[in-house]
Amino acid sequence: MDELLSLRALTRRFGERLAFVGLDLELMRGEVLGLLGANGAGKTSCLRVLSGNLAPSSGEARVCGIDLARSPLKAKRHIGYLPERPPLYPDMRVGEYLTYCARLHRIPEVRVAGAVARAMQRCGLEGAERRPLATLSKGWRQRVGIAQAIVHEPDLLLLDEPTDGLDPVQIRAVRDLIRALSAHCAIVLSSHLLPEVQAVCSRVLIMSQGRVVHEARLDVEPAAPRYRLRTAGPAPPGLVGALGAESAEVLPDGSVLVALRAGDSPAALAERVMAAGLGLAELSPERGDLEAVFFAALAGEQAA
Amino acid sequence: MILTIARREWQAAFLSPLAWVLLAVNQVILAWIFLRVLEAHSGLQAAGRAASLTQELSLNLFGFAAVLALVAAPLLAVRVLSGELRDGSFELLGAAPVRLAEILLGKLLGLAGVISAAGLLPLFMALALAPIAGLDLGLILAATLGLWLTGVLFAAVALFASSLSTQPGVAAVAAYGILVLLSVLGRAGGEAVSLFEWLSWSEHLYGFLLGMVRTSDLLYFVLLTGFFLALAHRRLANRRLG
Repeated sequence: MDELLSLRALTRRFGERLAFVGLDLELMRGEVLGLLGANGAGKTSCLRVLSGNLAPSSGEARVCGIDLARSPLKAKRHIGYLPERPPLYPDMRVGEYLTYCARLHRIPEVRVAGAVARAMQRCGLEGAERRPLATLSKGWRQRVGIAQAIVHEPDLLLLDEPTDGLDPVQIRAVRDLIRALSAHCAIVLSSHLLPEVQAVCSRVLIMSQGRVVHEARLDVEPAAPRYRLRTAGPAPPGLVGALGAESAEVLPDGSVLVALRAGDSPAALAERVMAAGLGLAELSPERGDLEAVFFAALAGEQAA
Repeated sequence: MILTIARREWQAAFLSPLAWVLLAVNQVILAWIFLRVLEAHSGLQAAGRAASLTQELSLNLFGFAAVLALVAAPLLAVRVLSGELRDGSFELLGAAPVRLAEILLGKLLGLAGVISAAGLLPLFMALALAPIAGLDLGLILAATLGLWLTGVLFAAVALFASSLSTQPGVAAVAAYGILVLLSVLGRAGGEAVSLFEWLSWSEHLYGFLLGMVRTSDLLYFVLLTGFFLALAHRRLANRRLG
């Protein structure tokens, strides 16, 4: 894996107001980093700085080893960026818009048509080449927005709330697309939705009031993985013994938070629940720590 | 890269009705002036005429076309920059490996394309008379060049004003303010009158309308256009720094 993004104490202020401060980060090819936080936490400012649309107030950002502040043109060749509002020109058609974007990213003229066709195919835009951008629905506009960000096959892809405002089917399609794209590049995406980040990201930074309040990996299982268990009837006393778990805590909503012993598996747990005649209604992985940090950050944001 | 952006601006201008409406309105007004010049030259007052038909056409038709360009340039330019900054599509250019100078030159070139189309209207009207009236073609071409340079200067001023605000209405008012100021500067009195006269575009266009293509006038248009582009560049660079 090679390092595609490196940030050192990256800070951005708007006059007296702090957008984000002291961001340190390394991102490798294949990683998907989620910037999670409430609205106004500094996610969009961070992505705008990384895209070169804003200059940092201090600190350093390197894309593929190239300093974004010193050699912006070289660095930007490796960056694809989808802003919060897809930067579309309503008077253009899908095909000519993507062709224009390909030329802006200095793709040699002989390769432009191929690059556009490939981006359209990856974003499910086949057959929409002649559709005017002004007539597209929100989901299609978002897809065209992603297509313009990947038309030059960037090493670093920046996506600002890529599923915002989409319906569930479109959200699933965009998530699948992000997963497919992550095989070839590093992706930074922002979201204010925890499930969104959990669904596609391998790492998460939770931001609050411009500061990183928590950093976690989502692609590795914790040492003692925890599962939320719901039985058919009320949870009986002595459950820990019956389940052979490290610990089991009955929550106020009647579900049980089970911590597995090392080497144990959720499949084995399910079998033991059935064998004990408890009746299995639900068994799902619990990411309580992340959720707790996220909501604590949200609470801090609202109190401020 | 400059040509890519210019082509896009040119295409956008002619895909919207704005450029066509401006051209049509220009044509109607210029045709009226054209007919009035002809009437004054060949009608009942023909005996009192003081200048040749070519000079009358140049001063009235091309002179008024410059005033129309002053009205049209801000309307065209605010969409190109202020509108893009407002609706977020400028982020596409900001994230692309393109210099700010290339973006501005591309946009100016795109606007210059529309202005060229508008500049051809008085030229074609004058040329329609050429086979029968024995016009001074050199003078007509000099006036066309002057009109085009004036239009490009107006576009550069309007681009700068457009970079000042994300509200197209505010940007247009700012552009009109600067352009009107540049128009009335030459009327200032006092010791500094020569500097103010030099800054006023009408003084320099006048030379072209009389058929004189002077290096000093050419330099004025190039320098002032460059100056306002540099201001727009500075403004956009400052937006990044915030």
